[in-house]
Amino acid sequence: MAETASVTLYHWEPNANSGKPMLTLFEKGVTFESHYLDLLNFDQHKPDYLAINPLGTIPAMTHGDLVLTESTAIMEYVDEAFAGPRLMPDSPVDAWRVRWWMKFMDQWLAPSFSMIGWSIFVGPSVRSRDPAELDAAIERIPLPERRVAWRKAISGSFSAEEMAESQRRVAVGIGLLEQALGQREWLASDSYSLADINGFNLAYALPLSQPHLSNDELTPNIMRWLRAIYARPATKSCWALGRTDMARRVTILEGEPA
Amino acid sequence: MTTTLYHGEPNGPSLTVLAALFEKGADATLERIDLAAGERHSARVPHAMEVDHSIEGEGPILVVNGIPMADSVFLACYLDDVGSGPPLRPGAPHDRWRMMTWCRYIVERVAPAASYLGVESSPPARVPEDIASVDLAQRWRDAVAGRIDETRRADSRSKIVEAVERIERELSDGRDWLIDDFSIADLESYAWLAGMQSIVPEAFADRPRTAAWLARVKARPAVARALATATGPAPERVWAPGPEINRWG
Repeated sequence: MAETASVTLYHWEPNANSGKPMLTLFEKGVTFESHYLDLLNFDQHKPDYLAINPLGTIPAMTHGDLVLTESTAIMEYVDEAFAGPRLMPDSPVDAWRVRWWMKFMDQWLAPSFSMIGWSIFVGPSVRSRDPAELDAAIERIPLPERRVAWRKAISGSFSAEEMAESQRRVAVGIGLLEQALGQREWLASDSYSLADINGFNLAYALPLSQPHLSNDELTPNIMRWLRAIYARPATKSCWALGRTDMARRVTILEGEPA
Repeated sequence: MTTTLYHGEPNGPSLTVLAALFEKGADATLERIDLAAGERHSARVPHAMEVDHSIEGEGPILVVNGIPMADSVFLACYLDDVGSGPPLRPGAPHDRWRMMTWCRYIVERVAPAASYLGVESSPPARVPEDIASVDLAQRWRDAVAGRIDETRRADSRSKIVEAVERIERELSDGRDWLIDDFSIADLESYAWLAGMQSIVPEAFADRPRTAAWLARVKARPAVARALATATGPAPERVWAPGPEINRWG
């Protein structure tokens, strides 16, 4: 696909999976059309979007005739398909470490953040709506696993055991991030990379959401890293596309170190 | 540069990495460890955060200039970068995206199912000491005790059936390999599915394209050489706790 073909990104807030390709596109300086989908209004399960991505998962990106899904794989695609600063290190060992961290976050740490976030934010945000309307919306979700997650979030039925395990993983993950960021300036190498973009989308609100685990005293390296990413012009442009209080949590990073 | 590969029997992630090493003609010292006995957690193997908390579970470790690395698909990418043999990844960004999303599907959906069914069929004898990851330790305890959840077993079997259906569909245009030329996607898929032929035979029934693909992968000299490192007659029946079954959709 010619680099000049038009790019459209279908995304929700600059947060988690949506924010990963958004911030990558901004860092690469790629001009793209932003197509905002309101996750809380189930836009991602409506026919217009299912025509783009039949699985109804966010985000998706089109580049000319190509349709790409899976946020982390899209990030690698954007880095390889467009000019602009390289976001994968040249060293093969560092490139391995970038991928290791992205997998660890995508498949182990982020699901725990999601479970907590959905139980305190997504579920309560939609719970008050007409039950019949919610039922119909859930029935339109293509993936069975996502139907289960939505039902649990709306009914608030995550078990105490599930929530405790998620909280345990968040604490372990914060410890590992702090350890890695104590060893080098950026998460996976000595240069800013896709691992940092991925990690920022997961962790930008940590000092607000997990203040007892992540703060200037306990995790100085995480705080240094988050502030350094927030200071980048691309991050500012990206978070300006946020429309909810969730994305505005990023302003906690404007504070000076304690 | 000194490189050492600590690997188990050639099945699952060890098979992927051994075969990738041989495909690329990369130079490494081979050290066999007994993954099913938990030797990855012993002092014999170099440790690092990325090994102790690898969510692949019991897989091989590649140590490059003292840096221990884990996770088979990414180790294969590393070997592809440093080895001189023919590429194991496509060159065009969109084809590379196809390969990475395919591998993600295998790693996230198929590997947990295969290892769940694998350790049920060949349970490990005892739980090793000093497992750093709390959730991996739990998978070991469940495997040794034979604690199998019926819903998870059924779901795992259906995941294997779906994976073979997908391969059959991918190859329906007459291609030999999953992503045009032979790639890491073929290795990783074969490595997790070869041992499923005896455990979920119905998944492979009347799937001629998949059968021919399995035979093609197995016949590659690098795969044959990897399989020849086996210490027993049936490496595809040797399993250790792998990645967990996805807990959030």
